[in-house]
Order: sequence, then structure tokens, then C-alpha cells
Amino acid sequence: MSKHTIELTINGLRHTADVEARVSLSDFLREDAGYTGVHVGCDHGVCGACTVIVDGKAVRSCLMLAVQAHGADITTVEGLAEPGGALHPVQETMAQEYGLQCGFCTPGIVMTMAALTGEGKRPTEEQLIDAMSGHLCRCTGYQGIRRAVRKLVAADTGETVDGGAA
Amino acid sequence: MNAPDRRAGANAGAEPAGRPHAGSGRYIGQRVRRKEDARLLTGRGQFVDDIALPGMLHVAFVRSPIARGRILGIDLDVARDVPGVHAIYTQQDLAHFNVDMLSFYLVSPEVETTPLANGRVAYVGEPVALVIADSRPIAEDAASLVVVDYAEEDPVVTIDDARSGPPVHPGCDDNIAAEMGEQEIDEDLQALLEGAPHLIRHRVVHQRISQSPMETRGVVVSREGAEELTLYITCQSPHLVARWVSLALGLPPGAIRVIAKDVGGGFGLKNHPWKEETAVILAALMFNRPLKWIEDRYENLIAANQAREQEMVLQVALDDDGRLLASHGDYSVNNGAFPQLSECNIAVHMFVWAAYRMPRYGFLTRGWYSNTIGYAAYRGPWAMESLIRETALDVAARRIGIDPIELRRRNLVTLQDQPTTSCMDLPLEDITPAECLEKLLAAFDVAAFRREQAAARKEGRYLGLGIATYIEPTGAAGAITTMTGELAQVRIEPTGKVTATMSTHSQGHGTATTMAQIFADRLGVPYEDVTVFEGDSSRGGFSPGAAGSRQGVIAGGAAIMAADLLAAKFRQLAAHLLDTSVDAIVIDEGMVRVDGAPDKCRPFADIACIAYGEPDRLPPGFEAGLEAQYRYQPPPMTFSSAANACVVEVDADTGFVRILRWISSEDCGNVINPAVVEGQIAGGLAQAIGMVLLEEVRFDARGNPLAATYKDYHLPAIADIPEFEFVHAGTASQSVGGMRGCGEGGAIIGAPTLVNAIADALAPFGEVPVDLPLTPTKLLSLIEGRDLSAKTVDDQHHFIADHPVTVPVSAAAESAPQAPQPAAAPTAEALVDGDWKMVLSTPMGPQEMTGHFETRGQALAGYLSSPEGQMDFTGSVDGANLKFDLKVDKPMKITLKYTLAVTGDKIAGKCKMGIFGSAKVTGQRA
Amino acid sequence: MKPAPFDYVAPSSIEEACAVLAEAHGGATVLAGGQTLMPLLNLRMSQPFILVDLANIAELKGVTRVDGGIRIGPMTRQCDAIDNKVLAHDLPVLVQALRHVGHHHTRNRGTVGGSIALGEPAAELPAAAVALKATIEVRSVRGTRQVPAAEFYIGPYMTVLEPDELVTGIRFPEWSLGHVTLFCELAQRPGDFALVGLVGALAIDSGKVARAGLAWFAMGPTPMRAKTAEQLLSGQSLAEIDPQAVAESAIADTAPFDDAQASADYRRTVGTRLFARTLREALNVTEAA
Ligand code: FES
Ligand code: FES
Repeated sequence: MSKHTIELTINGLRHTADVEARVSLSDFLREDAGYTGVHVGCDHGVCGACTVIVDGKAVRSCLMLAVQAHGADITTVEGLAEPGGALHPVQETMAQEYGLQCGFCTPGIVMTMAALTGEGKRPTEEQLIDAMSGHLCRCTGYQGIRRAVRKLVAADTGETVDGGAA
Repeated sequence: MNAPDRRAGANAGAEPAGRPHAGSGRYIGQRVRRKEDARLLTGRGQFVDDIALPGMLHVAFVRSPIARGRILGIDLDVARDVPGVHAIYTQQDLAHFNVDMLSFYLVSPEVETTPLANGRVAYVGEPVALVIADSRPIAEDAASLVVVDYAEEDPVVTIDDARSGPPVHPGCDDNIAAEMGEQEIDEDLQALLEGAPHLIRHRVVHQRISQSPMETRGVVVSREGAEELTLYITCQSPHLVARWVSLALGLPPGAIRVIAKDVGGGFGLKNHPWKEETAVILAALMFNRPLKWIEDRYENLIAANQAREQEMVLQVALDDDGRLLASHGDYSVNNGAFPQLSECNIAVHMFVWAAYRMPRYGFLTRGWYSNTIGYAAYRGPWAMESLIRETALDVAARRIGIDPIELRRRNLVTLQDQPTTSCMDLPLEDITPAECLEKLLAAFDVAAFRREQAAARKEGRYLGLGIATYIEPTGAAGAITTMTGELAQVRIEPTGKVTATMSTHSQGHGTATTMAQIFADRLGVPYEDVTVFEGDSSRGGFSPGAAGSRQGVIAGGAAIMAADLLAAKFRQLAAHLLDTSVDAIVIDEGMVRVDGAPDKCRPFADIACIAYGEPDRLPPGFEAGLEAQYRYQPPPMTFSSAANACVVEVDADTGFVRILRWISSEDCGNVINPAVVEGQIAGGLAQAIGMVLLEEVRFDARGNPLAATYKDYHLPAIADIPEFEFVHAGTASQSVGGMRGCGEGGAIIGAPTLVNAIADALAPFGEVPVDLPLTPTKLLSLIEGRDLSAKTVDDQHHFIADHPVTVPVSAAAESAPQAPQPAAAPTAEALVDGDWKMVLSTPMGPQEMTGHFETRGQALAGYLSSPEGQMDFTGSVDGANLKFDLKVDKPMKITLKYTLAVTGDKIAGKCKMGIFGSAKVTGQRA
Repeated sequence: MKPAPFDYVAPSSIEEACAVLAEAHGGATVLAGGQTLMPLLNLRMSQPFILVDLANIAELKGVTRVDGGIRIGPMTRQCDAIDNKVLAHDLPVLVQALRHVGHHHTRNRGTVGGSIALGEPAAELPAAAVALKATIEVRSVRGTRQVPAAEFYIGPYMTVLEPDELVTGIRFPEWSLGHVTLFCELAQRPGDFALVGLVGALAIDSGKVARAGLAWFAMGPTPMRAKTAEQLLSGQSLAEIDPQAVAESAIADTAPFDDAQASADYRRTVGTRLFARTLREALNVTEAA
């Protein structure tokens, strides 16, 4: 089995590592790089728990080999909050809207929301919900996730919504 | 400190007299932010796969590719040579541990159950060997090189197969795993059913479900010397796992520490370890290195225990006014090969009519072994009762021509009717399904909907309204050995902050939040100042954790009691130090004041420092420190009630169902945190929607699972779940704090609500057969009036015919064998008197006891003794046949009627357990 | 599960890639976007000796206009194709089909060529290629050949690609700008494989159908070209089209199967309806325009 040296940026830090060809990006991020916030719920590309941002796009890290991430810029859920601890708006919204229970699916959901909102992006509610259809959550029945989506869309378009939980 | 509740209706209940009451406060009853979220949202949770220990090795399993057969040989040679492989174990290597694979009730299994397959395999996916290697990929490489030689046999897959197929377990007479009730419908009941103006015979077929927590099973085992064992395991209670492992493996409990800080959902699957986890623990004990096994999703779908595969026929007799007259239920559940508990689901019958005025009910209930993955619990394991009752009532309403709401109104038990007992002798004091229904109807305009529905039908659009009501037993404690109270330990630290250690455990339940709300309110400190620890068997005390919708009810009560003890102690000290009376002490958000003396104001920390560090300043006899604990034992059972409504549209062109609206009107008593309660209900409702429309574990005729990935096992996604609306009734319960459980209700009431809505929408086409899931193909078949289902001949149905097997019908074993009467009968005294070792096969597993009999003529006296104690009885004897009655109080007041017969050194017969039906008794002379 | 061991190479030219494939004698598997291959690797259902990643071959990416038609590089990511202005203008129905492929996340990695070369019978893009009369350009060290999409698929996940061959381009002929686009798909949940699907286009010339291209997905072992319906439509004026009759003739060219998601009978019944509905709506829109 071939081994490869990869260089990549994870959460703003440069990493160099030797990886076996068969190692998935999700396993690499969890086990080699130590970002255990990347959760593996299925390993076959359906649940979305392993979602990370690769070069600006939300992708499933179980469906990439680590070697394919050579040269990539990756953000995991650990890289979202401010270094000082202030939550990213997406994380803050999810907390306010009770978007999580066990929290296992949450890192993936948060990363998709983060990739699609902010920085002048103006997603429609429909687009965000469509992206959310790639995430499975067994706990919440998606109630808080849906509310969070609505709030994020409103924030991105500068509208205000009421009815948000205290 | 009593800030008004900002949400009307959240806590409208009246306080039960003389009992501490959670009420609403600054925090209790409020939607406060969850304590768990900060770590979970930033990827800093600690799930079992996040644990890495020095020297840790990885485990993969070799699994059976066939559903049934003998193992002729296992060749490990090639696999052992894979670089990086440390050891490979089979059951032979583990046999010396003599593991007792206990159920949740801590009773031994009915059939031999071993961690790895012992000479035979009984389902596809059964673990046969365990590989230990440097990494998981290497362990899998080696596992794929293990060669197992099987003599394959034809499997028993479905409940139907089990009825007529060869026994799954050699040595068993048949495939009945558990059975209760009466084989024949009693004559009186039969007469009532047949004589009724309306008799509904309603059948429900429920598919098999995978609990599918998003975090699969997994364990990291570390043995520290001969006397310590640490387990990181994804579970529903670290305490229960510690107890289970100690008992099942025969290890001293003190040596075992179980840690499960974060768990990605349980839903019944993770009640206690099963084959794989046990095998890994044993392997770690043998190999002496930390081992990790994380189940992958493929393993989870083909080899983790599953739930719900069941069918039931309910007969319901009604008069012309729609009043219930009598009913009979016949229920079967597939137990698979190695169930976590041999289950015939007696609770289905306990609760099927509990909330309705049903004069008469009889039943037969059975669990069947098959060559499939074993049975385990899933949120609301007895949910069939609500599904079949509520759907049958709607069928009845259509048949008789009564509005389904009116039908319920005429039959539901209301608050005015209580206290009363159900047809199964359940005491009912404060159930409120009828009240929840009225609240629901206040929030939903049925008449307007009916107009909209009629208009839509004219356009060829099919709208439907489904309504269902139910009650749910929650917070049960005291009747079953593992269902205990909860322990709260709380202290005001020298810093003035509050720390609590709870016996609770969260797999998403947010108990660290809700318990902190209680402590903050009851102690008068800011919510931010409270930290709740749980998830470690070395902290807190025993509780089964999340099982039976119990933590909010029981642990909430414990937290209130412990906090009140501590508050009293704190006030006493504060009064002493501030030189005032206890009554003058005012506590508010972490500050202590004296009424009328504004200058005497101290932060908690000042008082707490003295409590710990300056013994001289304490009142005489005052125990230093500020700590309290309380184990709360709640009433045996606390009922929650609900009524739900759902509106659907069924596309008559495609058979697709769209849910347009859903209202949940429920009574969870006093609510600690509405967002948490609504989260529990919503999660359960979503699972119910999955059951009705999407999810299904299928097998082919050879017992091969057909849903091995999430591409094939369809969990509901965001588009499948509507936004739920909530109405809370808030009738305080009898338990401390007045809470009622809310963990399982959504999963129970969701299914009948949705099925009723679909059936209402499609009523113009006939009755919807309740055969879950209701796929588009099935619904379109009804709409089209022709069978659109797969025409490929499913050989499953031919299997039994093709493989005729002669199984001795075991009916004889069911009734008390009549001892032959020899010509010169020996005296009863010689036959019967003395001590007998007997086993009573109950739904909670076999119970061992010793029977002592003394006869005097036709009179019999004696006692039965078991670990629970000794009970005396008197009865009668006729030759070798004995009859006696025993009255017991636990789990409820019933009379046990024993009918036994002696044949030589053996004794056999049955025990009629009132409403629970009959259980087999076997034994021999001691 | 974790993948079985394999070697990984990422050639930087088509020639190099073809050489690796030739040398591997069938032991190599091509990695495009990996969104279907990775699950198969992770489940050990695919166990190649060598994985040939095409990501470094720049000439395999991009959308270009060529002699009236369009050429899509197989390594063009689905998300990029969706955002592509040329495609939106010339082949809107392809963009519509692309939006239905998998989920947002898999479209961010998945490629147009990967989906087309895989030949999943329930997938949108192979059917779109068949319907729109695409030609698939195939290269190996033995040379280049052009395979009409209709001849490319021979069974579920089976194509005429030899183990040493590589898809290097997909060419779509020009569909006149006034063309009518047809797309319908019924799936249990968004992103699931279709239960029933149809993609097609009608080139319109002076109110008449000049050319019709129709193909079903999830309605047989391969994308199923609705040839009879294409012939029925050709030459018809828009006003005289009978959507129900067209749909019924189209369904005759399917061979659906029973599976866990839906029965063959279901697929046929619903397929006819959906297509008739889609065609009716498309014609209404065209008339209104
Ligand atoms: S773990 Fe990657 S999608 Fe499930
Ligand atoms: S919060 Fe548990 S799976 Fe989503």
C-alpha cells in the first residue's frame, strides 16, 4: 500500500503528515490531526456527521481520502469559534434554537450552515433546507435545526424574525 | 425569586398539598440554554471513539455470513500472520469466563447466549471471532482472512416461519421465547364479542426497526492490574453497565469504573452491553492491553439488536352508540435469536385499554425466536397498544358512522371518573387523555378542516385528519430490580458555586441542564453558578439512567429534595453568622440578605468559606461543609397523557404522503424546561414518522439483511418532518415536583396519529391495511384498487412449504400435565411432601424458588421462598395434583394461582398471574 | 469498515493515466469525485490494487462550446456545472438534472464524468446523456473512440468501457434555444435514488417538434431511451401533442424492476402519470410564452 506525504491547512494551522493511501480524510482528521469533533456516523456518505469545509465548500470527509486533501484548506468544527471562545453565529443560533440534543450529528450540521451562510452569502431558506437534507439527526426531529436555518437566512438577508427562543 | 412564568400554560398545574413542588421559578419552567451545548457545538464533546489510551489496540469481528448452521471449523492461520495482528479469539478462548448474558432486569437468558458463536451461528452478522490488531483497518484485513467452515441449515426468519419452523435453539421444543395469556378465548368473552352490535377485527403488522442512534455502539476497555477495570462505553447508564458487567462477568463491582460523558443517542439499544461489547471486555481481560471497538454503521445495521417486528390482531366489540363492550388481543413479536430479554411484551395488553372504559379484555401474547438479530428495546417498546387501539377506533368510527373524536369522548376515562382501575386492574388516579383531547380541539378547528377536506376532494386532492390519544407509564420505580429511584448529591462549594453529582445520564436528554435549573431555583443561585456532573459510575449512585421516561420525574424529585436539605442547612448557618433568625434570611441569586437589615448582605462564598474552613464559627452541632444528598423513591408509576392531531395530503397519483400540520397536546405535568420537553416529544414523533413511512429492516428468505447502509435504511430527514406545534396541559403529578415523563411519548402516539390521518385521507378508497411502513406502493395499491406490489415471487413464503418440518406441537407443555393415576395410588404425602426446586418462567425472565409442601388429607400447606422472601400458602391436593393461591403486592396486587402436578421427581404446571396470563412452572425435588 | 489496502496514483496527464490503466491489467479503478466509489471502498465492496485519481489532470475539467454543441470535461464538479453560465443557457435541462444528483455535499465533490461513467440505472446524468444524445469520448493507450450514450450502458453499473479506458469528454449536440425541457423525478427523500424519473428535451422548429430526446431513469437496468415516444413526437405540432398518449408510448420502452423502494408495477403506473403531467405543464408554459 502506498504512503504519501501531504501538506494541508487545518483550522488555519499548517500540517504535514505521512498517510497511507486508504486512510479517509475523516479518520485522518480525527486520529492523526486530533480533531475529534469530526464525527463518523456512517462512513458511507449518507449521514453528514463528518461534514467539514474543504476549500470553502461543505463536503463529507468520509468520502475523501486524506491523500486527496493535499494542498487543501480545511475547517472543522473546532475551527469555527473565535480563539477566545466566542461562538460562531451558526453555533450561537443552534444553541439558542435548541438545535441539538446528543450533539453527535451537530458538528456536520454546523459546518454545512457555516459554509452556506455568512460573508455576504445570501442563501434562501429553501437552499439551506435542501443542504440540510444531507444530514441525519435521530434526536431532534429537526425542529431546532429548522428554526436555526430560518434565523440564519434572516440574519444574512438583514431581516429580523421574532419567535426565537430566549 | 418567583419571577412570573413568561409562557402561559407551561406550568398551570396545582400544587399537591404538602409536597415540595417544582412550580415555576426564575429557572424552572423556563427555556434556559443547555449546559451541554458549549462543548457539543465546538467539537469538544467526549464520545467513546474520541478516547485514545496509550498502548491501545483495535478490534474487528469476523461475522457469520449465514443465518443458521453449524461451525465445522475455524482456520485462523493466514489471518494470524498478517503483520500488526496481535491475537484472534474464538468462543473457545473466552469460554472459561462463563459469562451470564443478563437481561436489563438482570435475569439469565432463557437460551444459551455466548459473546461469540459457540459451535453454531443463529443469525447473519453473529460475531464468530475477534481480531486484535494495531489498527482497525489491519484488524479488518485479518478478519477477512479468517476461514470459517459452516454446515448451513435453512433459517427461520419471520414470525410465521417461527410458528412452524424447526427450533432456532437446539434443545428447545419450539420457537416460543415467551408466552402469556390464554390460548383459547374464554367463552364469556367470546359471547360478548360475537353478540355485540359491532365487532371490529383489526390487524396491524409492524416492521422491524433499527434504533439507529447516530453514534453506533462502541467500547474502550482498559484493565489496570488485576483489580481495576475501566470502560468507556456508549450507554444509557454507566451505573447499570457497571452493575451488569460485574454480575455478568462475576467481577467485583468496586473494581469497575464506567465512563460515558457524551453519548450520541441510545433509544433502548444501549441499555446494557451485549455480545460484541462483552467479547471485547473479555478479550481485554485476557490480552491485558487497552482495546477499542467502534461499531461501524454496516455492523450496526446488520448486527446490533433491533426492535419492533410484531403483529397483532385486536377484536373490539362496540354497541350502536360506539360504547366499548369487550376486546381481545392476539400479539406476537419476533425475538430474533438472542434477544436482550425473552419478550412477549405483556405491557401491550396492560396498556391497550388502560385509558378507556373497557369492561372486558382477554389476550394471548407471544415472543418467537428466529434466525435474525436479537430483540432489544426501542423508545416505547409497548407502543403497539396505542397504534392498534387508536387505528382500530378510527376503523370502528367509520364502520359505525360516528365521528372518531366523539367515539373517544364516549369512552375515555376522564378526571371525573378517577380514581378507578382499568380492565387490567391498573389503578388510575390522574390520567388526562380526555382533557388533552379537549385542549387539542381548542387549538385545531376540526369543522373548518372538514370543509377544506370536502372542497379538496372535489378537486381530486385527498386531505386527512388523524387524531389519537394515549397514556404512558413513566418514572416507574420499585417493581423491577433495576428500576430504582435516583440520587442527587449537591454541595455549595467553598467558592459559593454549586456542584451536583447525579445518578442521571444524558444521551441528549439535557439532564445536566434541567437538574441545574432545579438547583439554581431551589438554592437561590444563578443558573450559571451550577454545574451538574453525571456520566461516570464512580460518581453519584445507581440508577438505570434513560429507560422508561423516568429521569425528569425521579431525578427531578431527588434534586428538589437534596437542594431543600442543603438550603435548610445553609440558611441555618447564615442565620447564625448574621445573627438573625432563619426566617429573616432572604436568598437571592447567590446573595444572602437579612430581612429589614440591608447592610447585612453577604455573597454565598463568604458563608461557604466559613462552613468549610472555620469550624469555630459554626453553630453548635453543625456538621462542617455544605453538602446534602437525597435518593428519591417516587410513586410506583406516574402517567403522562396526550392527544395529537395531524393533517396529511396523500397524492392520489403517486401514493406519497405529505404532512401538513401536527399538533401535540400533552400533559407532562410540571415542565422543568419546555424546550427540552418539546425536544423529547419532537424526537419521538420524528421516529414515529419514520416507522409509518420510511424505515424497515428487511431480510431475504435466507435471513440476509437487506438494509445494510443508510442508503437502504431510510431514516427521516428534515423534509420528512413537519414543524410540530405544542400545547402543554401541566397537571402536576403525585411525585415530588409534579413532573411526568416525556421521553417516549412521541414515539408512541406519533404512529397512530399519522396512520389515522392517512386512513382518513384515503377513506374514499377503502380501509388502509396497517402494514408498516406505508410505502407509496402500498398506498397506491389501495387507491388504484389493485395490487401493485412486487410480483417477483418471494421465495420466503414458499420456504416452509418446500421444507416440511415436523415439529412436535408443544401444546402439551402449556397445560398442567395430568399425572397418570396408578391403580394403587401412593398417598399424596409420599408423592408431594418435601422441598422442590422450581422455576417460574415470567415475562421478566425465569424466577427460581424453592417450594415446600405438606399435605394432610386433601389439604395442602407450605411456602415458596425466593431471594425476595418467603410466602406461605394453603391449598388443596388431589392425588398428585396441587392447587394453591398466593397473594402478592409487587409489582402490583395480584393473586397467583398455581396448578401443579407431580410425576416422580418432577413437578410441572402453570401459574395463573391474574391479568398477566399464565406462566410455566417446572422443577424437581430439591 | 475501512477500505482494503491499495496504491494511489494521481497522474497529471491523460496519457499518463491511460498508461497506468493499461499496465494495471484490470486491477486499477479510476477515482473521479469519489462520491460513489468511496462508500464502495469503505464497505470493501470495491477492492482495487491501484486507485487512479484524475484530480490533477487539468484538461479533464471545464465546460466549452464546440461546433454548436457543448463539451463537458468529465472531472468538472457537479456544483461547478450547476453554476456554469454556458450550461444554464444551452442545456438548462442538464442543470436541472444535476440539481437532483445526490446532496449538496456530494455535488461539491462529485463530477459529471464520474456519474456518467458509473452507470447507476437510477441516476440522473446517464439518462440525461442518453436523452440529449450525448457522445462519450473514451481514451486508452489503444486510441480514442466516440460512443453514443445510448450504446454506452449495457446493464446496472455496466458500460462498454474496457478496464484500460477512460472517459475524457462528454459532448452534447446543440438543442435549439427554443427547446422544451422535460424533467421529473420522484424520490422517497431528497437525494435518494429515484423511484421514477424522466429527462428529455424537444427541439422546436416553427411550432413543430424537430427532434425529441427522452430517457427514463430508475426504469430498467440502464437509462431507458423512450424511442417510441421520441418517434411519436417528432414532426408533431405542439398543439396536437397528446401528453397521455406520449407517456403511454414512452412507458412501453421501460423495463422496471421490483425492489425495496418500489415495485415495477408502481414505477410503470406512476411513471406514465408523471411524464404526462410534466409534458402537459411544459407545453402549457411553452404556449404561454
Ligand atoms: S460519516 Fe460521512 S456521511 Fe456519514
Ligand atoms: S442531536 Fe443526536 S443525532 Fe442530532
